[in-house]
Amino acid sequence: MTTCALRRWFVVHKWTSLVCMLVLLIVCVTGLPMLFSEQIWEVFVGDDDPPYEVLPPGTPDVSLDIIVEKARALYPSQIITSINPDDDEPAVLVSMAPSWQALKDDENHPDRHSGHWIKFDARTARVLKQSRPANTPKEPRTWTGIILSTCTRLHMNLFAGLPGALFMGAMGGVFVASLVSGTVLYGRFMKRLPFGSVRTDRASRLTWLDLHNLLGAATLVWAMVVGFTGLINELQTPLFGLWRVTDVRQILRPYAGLPVPSQDHLSSVQAAFDTAAKAVPGNEVTGLSFPGASFGSPVHYVLWTRGATPLRARLFTPVLVDARTGELTGAYPMPWYLRFLEMSRPLHFGDYGGMPLRILWALLDVMVIGVLVSGLVLWAAKRKIATDARLRALGYELDDIDSAPAFAETVR
Amino acid sequence: MNAVSSDMSMPPSPDVTPRPSVAVWPWPIALGLLTAFGLLSALLGQHGTWLALSWAALSIPLIVTVAYVLRAWCRTPSVKGGQS
Repeated sequence: MTTCALRRWFVVHKWTSLVCMLVLLIVCVTGLPMLFSEQIWEVFVGDDDPPYEVLPPGTPDVSLDIIVEKARALYPSQIITSINPDDDEPAVLVSMAPSWQALKDDENHPDRHSGHWIKFDARTARVLKQSRPANTPKEPRTWTGIILSTCTRLHMNLFAGLPGALFMGAMGGVFVASLVSGTVLYGRFMKRLPFGSVRTDRASRLTWLDLHNLLGAATLVWAMVVGFTGLINELQTPLFGLWRVTDVRQILRPYAGLPVPSQDHLSSVQAAFDTAAKAVPGNEVTGLSFPGASFGSPVHYVLWTRGATPLRARLFTPVLVDARTGELTGAYPMPWYLRFLEMSRPLHFGDYGGMPLRILWALLDVMVIGVLVSGLVLWAAKRKIATDARLRALGYELDDIDSAPAFAETVR
Repeated sequence: MNAVSSDMSMPPSPDVTPRPSVAVWPWPIALGLLTAFGLLSALLGQHGTWLALSWAALSIPLIVTVAYVLRAWCRTPSVKGGQS
């Protein structure tokens, strides 16, 4: 490699690293509590839900239609917006609201929440819990909640919504560039050093450089994968938006102008679940949205299904079932870019291999923090050298404590 | 044959190679492949053996790093700069 090319790579590495340094330190630190958020919740908050009734094993779930009826009987003047059977508990969550319009109006009033939910036992259709009514004073926030939500928002968008997310995505791209240039420089610097040498007997700058190289080489692939999948994750809002204005709009066009039928005259919810399960074999149905939801059709149940294996667990395939007749309209797999997004998520979250994988994720994260800090130290030390050289060139005597008189003398 | 052996018998010129260059990439590539394998085996395998292999593969880069840092630390007990 020519000196000129090396210098260029060095400049690229220095500037890309400096640009994303602060953001990376933030995401590395905030990512740690996010990794263990479930455990943190369990330990510090726990849930105050009543225990489930003990029923003989194999007790079948009641029909969802019975749960729908019960929910309607509790709030006769309201509409049901969605039904979500729980993943791992025998519970069904029914979300309700005064009307679709009320939910839409909520968007303009951040303090108003007209939607609420009821949790039913899936086997007995008994009410287990309800969300707190909107007019009661808010539950005091726990420290755990405040810390975790601050971390999550800092990590995702620095409290700046979509612009923040796109900015973080750009920083992800810069980070990948910094890793690539760092790898090139590694090849140059390590030419005469065996792998893993950490020189502690010479200038401390060399120790930092060797640590930077060792930690960087050991975490390179992990950092590349997590950085790149993080970039992809930050693009989720525009990517889902793209899907909405292209394929989804195309699918819903024939129904766009139709009025939303009254919820008393809709086809069976349980039958819609069964139809959807049959339409996408190998997928499990995770929820149903009622006709009229802002993202859906005015006359269809939207059923959300997802792959049953962990790799495909985030691959959602919405299924439309006509809520007037109960007939299947179609299943619509996500386009390639959303599949790519959803498949890359586990590789960013590290949540797919049990507790040991989370711990390894955290340790690798700490090592990357080590790479960042050592890089920062190297840069700061270099800056000091450069500044000192400049000051010396101007005539300051830096090693002297009384540098000002020395300067005065040289001037004289 | 003759030409080669006569070349090899010549002493290496010290000016050209003051310190022998070492193979730079085997270690980083090995650690990178282990990381990639660890990331994918848990994602695609999802069951006992594959999960255990994933944990093992991802631990190796960590263990190697800690081992080298400890080695450097032990060699010079009075560490300059005081970092680990």
